[in-house]
Amino acid sequence: MKISLVTYFASLLFLTFFSYAFIDPNLSYLNVLYSGFHLEYREYSSIVYLFILTALFTSCFLIINNKNQFKSPVKKIILLTIIVLFFSYPAMLSYDIFNYITTAKIAFFYNENPYLIYPIEFTGDSLLEFTRATNKTALYGPFWILLTAIPFVAGMGNFILTLFSFKAFIVLFYVGTVFLINKLDKRAVLFFALNPLVVIETLVSSHNDIVMMFFALLAFYLIKTKKTFSIFSLLGSILIKFATLFLIPVYILSFLNKIEGKKIYFFAAASMFFVFLLSPFREELYPWYAIWFIPFTAFLYKNKLLQNLILVFSFGLMLRYIPYMATGNYFGDTPVFRTVLTILPVVIFMAYAFYKKQFKIFK
Amino acid sequence: MARYLLISLFVFFIFANSNGLVFAESSYVLPYPSFMPGNKLYIISEIKDKLSKYFYFGDFGKFKYNLSQADKYLVEAKTLFEYKQYLLGYKSLQKSNEYFTNIKSNLVNAKNSGKNIEDKEKNLTEASFKHVEVLEKMKEDVPETFEWIPEKASPTTLYLKKQIEDAIEIRH
Repeated sequence: MKISLVTYFASLLFLTFFSYAFIDPNLSYLNVLYSGFHLEYREYSSIVYLFILTALFTSCFLIINNKNQFKSPVKKIILLTIIVLFFSYPAMLSYDIFNYITTAKIAFFYNENPYLIYPIEFTGDSLLEFTRATNKTALYGPFWILLTAIPFVAGMGNFILTLFSFKAFIVLFYVGTVFLINKLDKRAVLFFALNPLVVIETLVSSHNDIVMMFFALLAFYLIKTKKTFSIFSLLGSILIKFATLFLIPVYILSFLNKIEGKKIYFFAAASMFFVFLLSPFREELYPWYAIWFIPFTAFLYKNKLLQNLILVFSFGLMLRYIPYMATGNYFGDTPVFRTVLTILPVVIFMAYAFYKKQFKIFK
Repeated sequence: MARYLLISLFVFFIFANSNGLVFAESSYVLPYPSFMPGNKLYIISEIKDKLSKYFYFGDFGKFKYNLSQADKYLVEAKTLFEYKQYLLGYKSLQKSNEYFTNIKSNLVNAKNSGKNIEDKEKNLTEASFKHVEVLEKMKEDVPETFEWIPEKASPTTLYLKKQIEDAIEIRH
């Protein structure tokens, strides 16, 4: 058990250090730390990333599946995870954080409507040097844009401070989500809080999906006690990234006491998994979209197979970064490799689970 | 000397036989005509436009709004003049002029607040070219004046050509 914990934290530390190998060459604010390693040594970068992922998922798998022997306080592990990953470079795997900052700047610095004005229209703005999708208007809901005023103002016009203010802001929602899960069911905490996909996509890449899920969980948490707050919380969640719109049927059923207990989480997880599967029709199956259903599957701990399958699937989703990391190309064979890498771990795990069951029967 | 005279005459005849002066056509694209006055849905599109004004906040936002409205009402005026609906066309062109006049102040405000307006100025120049191009064609087809005789009121003379000339002046 100790080895698993040591491996887990060593991998996190290494990941934080390694994330700085991915600094964008145009990010002048971090010029001092730029090495160009991820561009010069693409294959090595991919191998190191694979190594970190494997170590993280294996240790997490062992910790979650042996939590009865677990002596270390969960709070300390979560706190240490946050501290280590807070200092990582956020644009290692995705550039979304730059997009959040740019959209906030359009709204709260230039006082323009980010749903109408493209970032590219602010010719000469230094953020355009490294922000992606500058030819698109705001991609997220109005509540998210409103919320980003907090980290943007906290950044006081300094880019590095703004970058880490956004990271800290996302960390708060991760802590809030863990807190809510703990309030709803203590035994669900570890599965969510230590899942490497959740941890990397939230504490490293700072995706706003955790904010959306925090408000969705808050809505379910308050559903019996503070109904008005609960409704507004679900509305807030929907107005962050719209995906939780698919929770409305489960929410209504729960509101009317038609479903109770674990059934709520099962149907919520199923609904969010359904919208997750629909995402390729809109754009692409991004790994961080798994944050939409993982919080609900955390409560389904009685189904060990399902939880392990989610963990293996999370691993597969995180492997999706490798083809681009290794080739620098989004096209050609990359989409095929991505799909294969996502599905392969799941197929192997299912085959293993099936044969293990068969073997037990013969025994 | 006779040779130079001959060349001059040749050049003169070439231009004289062409369809008047040749202008470089602007690549700026004007919108399709939307609902026209008289259509039941026209009032709805007017309300929608009035409400969307609040969505277009900020200097660049207002720039886009005013330019799109100036475009829309210019196309509306052109269509109405073609159908000899001079009173309605007159009103539409008046609106287009008002919106077009607002654009410049939007750009000044944007510049004063530190925004780079180079692209917007370029955009406005292209739009102005296109507007002038349309207005010049309109001027050829409308009468000098039009007498509007409302019911139970004294008639009013609308100076159509003068209005178009003013519109061209605003856009220069």
